[in-house]
Amino acid sequence: MEPVNDKWDIEHLREHLQYAVDLEFWTLPFYLSAMYSIQDRTSKPYQLIRTVVNQEMLHLQCAANVANAYGLSPSFAAPTYEGTTVPHLDFSGDDPQEVKEFSPYTAEIGPLDDEHVNAMCLIEIPEDLTGEPPALDQDVTAYGSIGQFYQAVEFGAAQLRGQLRGGVRQVGHFGAAYRNAPSLVVTESGQAGFDQARLLLDLITDQGEGIGRDNRGVLPVFQNTADDISPAEDHFDKFRQIKYNPPLPEVFTAKPAKQYTPEDLALQANLVERFTALRAALTALFAGQSPAEFFPIMAGVGAAIRNCWAHGVTPKFS
Amino acid sequence: MPKKTVFRVHPSINFARFGTSDEYYLSPETSAGLPQPGTSTTGGLPIRAGTESELITSTDLRDAEGRLKKQAARFRVYAYELDGPATYPGGGGSEITLGDRLPDGRVVTDLVWTVHLANKKAAAYIVVNNEGVNAYAHGAVPQRRNPEEHGDIDAPSRLNKLMIDAGPRAISAKGAQRAKFDGCTVPSAADGNGEVCQYPKYPVRFPADVNDELFEPAGPLDSLGEMLSDDQGRLLVLASAGNAVAQYDEYGVPIQLTGDLNNVGWYDAAADGPVSLTLKFEDGSSQTAFGAWVVCADPAYAPQIRNVVSVWDDVYDTWVRELGLRPELFADGAFKQDYTPCFSTDIKPVFVASTLQRWTANLPEFALRAHAAVDAINEKDHPNETIMAGLTFLRNPNAGETNLGAPLMPLSLGEAGTSFLTVTLTQYFLLEQWSKNRYATEDFNPLGPGELLDMAALSNCLGGRYVPGIEVSYPVRCKDIYIRDWAASGAGPFRVKHKALDYTQAAQDAPFLKSGWIPLHGMTDGLEPGDLSKFMAIPWQTDYNSCSIHQTLINTNGVNESNGAATTLYWSWPSQRPDAVYVAEEVFKNVLPKQRWSIRGPGTYAVNPASAATFQDPLDSVKQWDRIGIIVQGTNIDLPDKEFSAELYLEVASQLTAPGDASDPVASWPFNANAPKRRARH
Repeated sequence: MEPVNDKWDIEHLREHLQYAVDLEFWTLPFYLSAMYSIQDRTSKPYQLIRTVVNQEMLHLQCAANVANAYGLSPSFAAPTYEGTTVPHLDFSGDDPQEVKEFSPYTAEIGPLDDEHVNAMCLIEIPEDLTGEPPALDQDVTAYGSIGQFYQAVEFGAAQLRGQLRGGVRQVGHFGAAYRNAPSLVVTESGQAGFDQARLLLDLITDQGEGIGRDNRGVLPVFQNTADDISPAEDHFDKFRQIKYNPPLPEVFTAKPAKQYTPEDLALQANLVERFTALRAALTALFAGQSPAEFFPIMAGVGAAIRNCWAHGVTPKFS
Repeated sequence: MPKKTVFRVHPSINFARFGTSDEYYLSPETSAGLPQPGTSTTGGLPIRAGTESELITSTDLRDAEGRLKKQAARFRVYAYELDGPATYPGGGGSEITLGDRLPDGRVVTDLVWTVHLANKKAAAYIVVNNEGVNAYAHGAVPQRRNPEEHGDIDAPSRLNKLMIDAGPRAISAKGAQRAKFDGCTVPSAADGNGEVCQYPKYPVRFPADVNDELFEPAGPLDSLGEMLSDDQGRLLVLASAGNAVAQYDEYGVPIQLTGDLNNVGWYDAAADGPVSLTLKFEDGSSQTAFGAWVVCADPAYAPQIRNVVSVWDDVYDTWVRELGLRPELFADGAFKQDYTPCFSTDIKPVFVASTLQRWTANLPEFALRAHAAVDAINEKDHPNETIMAGLTFLRNPNAGETNLGAPLMPLSLGEAGTSFLTVTLTQYFLLEQWSKNRYATEDFNPLGPGELLDMAALSNCLGGRYVPGIEVSYPVRCKDIYIRDWAASGAGPFRVKHKALDYTQAAQDAPFLKSGWIPLHGMTDGLEPGDLSKFMAIPWQTDYNSCSIHQTLINTNGVNESNGAATTLYWSWPSQRPDAVYVAEEVFKNVLPKQRWSIRGPGTYAVNPASAATFQDPLDSVKQWDRIGIIVQGTNIDLPDKEFSAELYLEVASQLTAPGDASDPVASWPFNANAPKRRARH
């Protein structure tokens, strides 16, 4: 299909790359909260979500590396989790039957339950299940699927490959578990650099939603070689496994907010503080700095989420 | 109740270590990696010979000819005034040395030490690496080693041929005597009055006594060690040179080393046995002390690198949960929820251990940073505000999580039948209490000096993963090996029960010792010499060599039970068996170089990453184990024109390569073993 607009400018591409970072970043607290709400860490849902979360961190790195290659050091605003709004994704244009399969859903932070599993499936839904063809239009800021979104990004990035610069603030922390993949950074400029950038974008969509309706899963080059219980399965398949293999595992019981003790509130505040520190550390990391405490801060966010749930407190990030 | 004076030898279990030099240093009396008052040098370093507590430096590791020095196990005796059953911690105790006057007026005129060393490995049962202690459950036993030697496990023909028994030796400290555990020295032991009796008919057995010819790739196996005393009357037990020898087959070829744990036809010079002491007094009286146990084992290649789970942690856990050590901590089958651990002694050691792993393993950057944050936690931090909040990254031993890998800690291989290691139940409970903000910043029940020695000696050894282990194996977790009436008898805890041996019954032609104690068979009459080391690999070198890095399925009967790829590699014994190290000579102005494998150079190049950091020919491990380097803190490294930060723990004294020599590159984790061979299709 012909694109609606085949003349992207660099600002528009950068805007989309920031959206990409926003979207990947948004999934982290959402998925982590669902995962850490599960009491039994040996349960398959816990392990499946764990592998997805690990890859979302990799996707964040990939999106940020592409952004930096096009001259944008991404920012990390506090994501919002309200109602049914997932940033830059709009499921209203999708095939109603497909959306119905994963309804009702919620975009609010919460434990692993039917509504959250539905949301996770919808976020990772393959592009050819979404009804609408890719809309590569400058004015569109919400897409039917991540696949559509990245197809648009790739389209714009291809047009602007002449402005791509390799070796700019590239980060390689999260690619170690992918021994079959090339280096997951953009080191070259021009066409060679674009090929590297496209590889990163393909990795995101391939790991996320697989390579199409025929469910061929994740390409070997993008499969985790270290610590994934189902490395050939994409996120959509993993989440669908959770949905269609009830019952969901037992989760920590969340107290109503009005019952929170001062200690509970302190746990929430601690998480907010840590997550705020993480946002600052990520901003610094993808701006070319090497924040020494980045990994402890990142791990500390996970610990704080789990600790909230263990005390019956719903995690809060801002 | 009137007070009574009892004497206890400490450490209750101590470790002599092999060395090819005749020179030696002394066993450490501090606990690996832990901060020590008044110095930046952490615990675990051995002590210079002839000194009270002067720590060795890198120049003390080898003699002038470059041979590796031995570690002598130093034992001391302490007097305790008891007015009732012993408790733990007792807190008191005064060391007794030659010439000391006791509070009751008695003056010590002599300390008569008796030690008996034996090695039963070749005559014992095999190590089953995916079964562990369970190989002895339900009345079963594993296969015998060397089954070609017919007869049951106690057949005299087998024991005569396969058991190495140097017999007992006794020395008078007053007489500054010393005795070798060889075939030339007449066995002797102290009687109940401290008189040394000789037993020339004792059936001393060495491999050369029963084999016409032996393959001796690094030298003969003609001694299990030596004992002597220092000028204070303390006992020093030296291990042997650590040699391993083999029989020849019917074609006159040395029997090959075909495996890691149970090599047929081989003997080694490890040993263990009871340490007994009789104190003699000026008034002609004498009194026996509660004895100890000595184990002669592998060198400490990384003495300050603390194991997350040490032998101490296992022994303490067993005593807490099964032998009533601390009723305020555990009673009636449950941990006491109101127990308050001490941050520095109960919590901090785990945190310290996590960060020290970086000096012996090729950990990824995120782990190094995270571990550093764990180590940085101090007693003033609220647990909820630390990276360890909720123990989120700790594998829970109560929750069946032994097959869950990263990001749970420890990320090293587990015990038999499990993929990954967990802390002990006691360690986990104490950490849970801390995570609930229920802990003390002060130790209200400090250990006494003898008790500190018990803890230090055991905490410097490998625990958790007894497959089969380095110094000792799973028997240390079996309550049956200990003096169980420790409180009423006054013996105090952690003492291996000595099986009563009547040396007057020794006869030249009959083996004196039997196959001895085995676990899970209700045997509570004590251990014979050799009953701990027999559970270790034979020879010890092949196990040390191979236990570098493995897939988890090595523990789980060849089936990947972990939540990751079957080929992902993990560390076997990362603290006690260095894998990847930083070479001190290659450090420039405290900037770390690339890591190198601890075992490297010619003969170590690995086709499969799973066998990296090993001698590819196991025979090389028998011949070159003494050339491997030692990891020492920067404070105690003496190199010309170099100074090192106290933060660094670096390899020194390796003779395997020279600085700058090429060697196999160290992969970054995660890394993978080669995929299994596929059968060709025809």
